Amino acid sequence: MTLLERDREAPSAWKGSLPVTSRYTYGLAGERFFRALKDEGKILASYCPKCDHTYVPAVNFCERCLSELTEWQDAGLVGVLHTYTLLFVDFEGQPLDEPELIGFISFGDGGIIHKLDANPDELEIGMPMKAVLKPQKERSGSILDIRCFQPVNK
Amino acid sequence: MNKEVAIIGVGWSGFHPSTPEVSYKELMYAAAVRAYADAGVDPRRDIESFVTVAEDFIEGTSIFDEYVPDQLGAALKSVHTITGDGLHGLATAYMLIRTGVFDVVAVEGHSKASNIQTLDSIVGHAQDPVLNRPLRLNTHFVAGLEMQRYLHDSGSSLEQCAAVVVKNRHNALKNPLASYSANLTAEDVMQGPPLAWPLGRLETATPVDGSVVIVLASGRKAAELSDNPVWIAGMGWCNGSASLESREWSTLPYVEKAAQMAYRQAGIGDPWDEVDFAEIDDTYAYKELQSLEALGICAFGEAGELLMQGAFDPYGEFPVNASGGSLGVGHLLDATGLHRALEAVLQLRGEAGAHQIEDVHTGLVQSWRGVPTTSAAVAIFDNQEG
Ligand SMILES: [Zn+2]
Repeated sequence: MTLLERDREAPSAWKGSLPVTSRYTYGLAGERFFRALKDEGKILASYCPKCDHTYVPAVNFCERCLSELTEWQDAGLVGVLHTYTLLFVDFEGQPLDEPELIGFISFGDGGIIHKLDANPDELEIGMPMKAVLKPQKERSGSILDIRCFQPVNK
Repeated sequence: MNKEVAIIGVGWSGFHPSTPEVSYKELMYAAAVRAYADAGVDPRRDIESFVTVAEDFIEGTSIFDEYVPDQLGAALKSVHTITGDGLHGLATAYMLIRTGVFDVVAVEGHSKASNIQTLDSIVGHAQDPVLNRPLRLNTHFVAGLEMQRYLHDSGSSLEQCAAVVVKNRHNALKNPLASYSANLTAEDVMQGPPLAWPLGRLETATPVDGSVVIVLASGRKAAELSDNPVWIAGMGWCNGSASLESREWSTLPYVEKAAQMAYRQAGIGDPWDEVDFAEIDDTYAYKELQSLEALGICAFGEAGELLMQGAFDPYGEFPVNASGGSLGVGHLLDATGLHRALEAVLQLRGEAGAHQIEDVHTGLVQSWRGVPTTSAAVAIFDNQEG
């Protein structure tokens, strides 16, 4: 891309890294959402009556009006394909052997980002997609308890 | 017209894909010395406060703000670092002057991207740790999802997105600061390697190293120090819902709000008529079209067609990224907004050289912090000659 090359006479550099390990607390709403996913195989929503807005994944306050949310609902396992992409690089930026199909599946006024199990050519924005869950005893209470989303008619 | 705060000096160092000879401190020093000379100020005597923008993980150093004073002449002075785009830094410096406490303030941003060995991982750690990061997806996926939905809703085409790359990298041929100038065709861009389809690798800006320093002064002090002040007529900034689960995917409401805030201050009703040129976000090619619509330069879904008609060319009705933008110049990470501000100042002073646009009085600058953020800032500059 560019004619500018590294200067071989340049002073050298010290190499170092920055290890960071954290606990990321689920919080009260996250705990309830992931427990329902793990134990009951359900995707939960929470509803703000004031804003008429349904949050998926469920949260316990409304970011629009800041009310506390107490109406929890079962959002079902079928959402709508809102948008999708075919990703050609891995987390670190290295080329993937097989590109990954990723989608945003809308539920209520929110939705879930996940991998898609589909032929890219059969995908259409607006089509129904269903969550494929891991078997109950393999679930650990994480977003990975959903294995992927598939077209409903697959 | 707002004549409270002016830009009285600009300086830069870089911009190169790699700068192995110098440290980030030396990059900052070189830009600062140039800006202070341009403003005609002695930093130790005249500059009262300093603002820098930096992100610890990008720098690879915790509490990075501790490392900024020395090379700017800011030791034992009022100084602070914010995590934001350069335009957020400019907004902070602008407000410091508007408090009435300070008359001369400097703002700095830099990129030492060539030193970062794991940029994609650093960006990846900006994803929600519970909902998104466990999927281990390269963060470009957010741009792929957004582009796909934007094309679907706006009716913009892949050809129009590719034409943004062709325009900006061609514009960069006339900009000596640009690293990625090229004569390409839309076919070249569309046949390039995919990144997050429909987004291609050639539609994605490549990082460069560099530093930008801008010196601001109160109206009173600017009258004393400068014979070519560029006035900050308006500044706005806004964040949307950062969560991927509750954001908008085809429109940029946070850019719209930031622009409205800046337009209100600058007294701008119709930016197409009242602004002469813009330097705006083109981190990904589709963002230029999407941002133009959010900025109210044209209606939703119109930017692609106007682009194809040449409206946004350097000699068009509303030149956009005449500098080459981030696609042509390279992306300066946190300093990107300051790079666009620098370009606007040079244009408004008539010092943009081969890519100077004729007869310009008002310029618009807009910036976005990149995936996965919903963080934008907008500035309106004016040379008061109009
Ligand atoms: Zn509400």
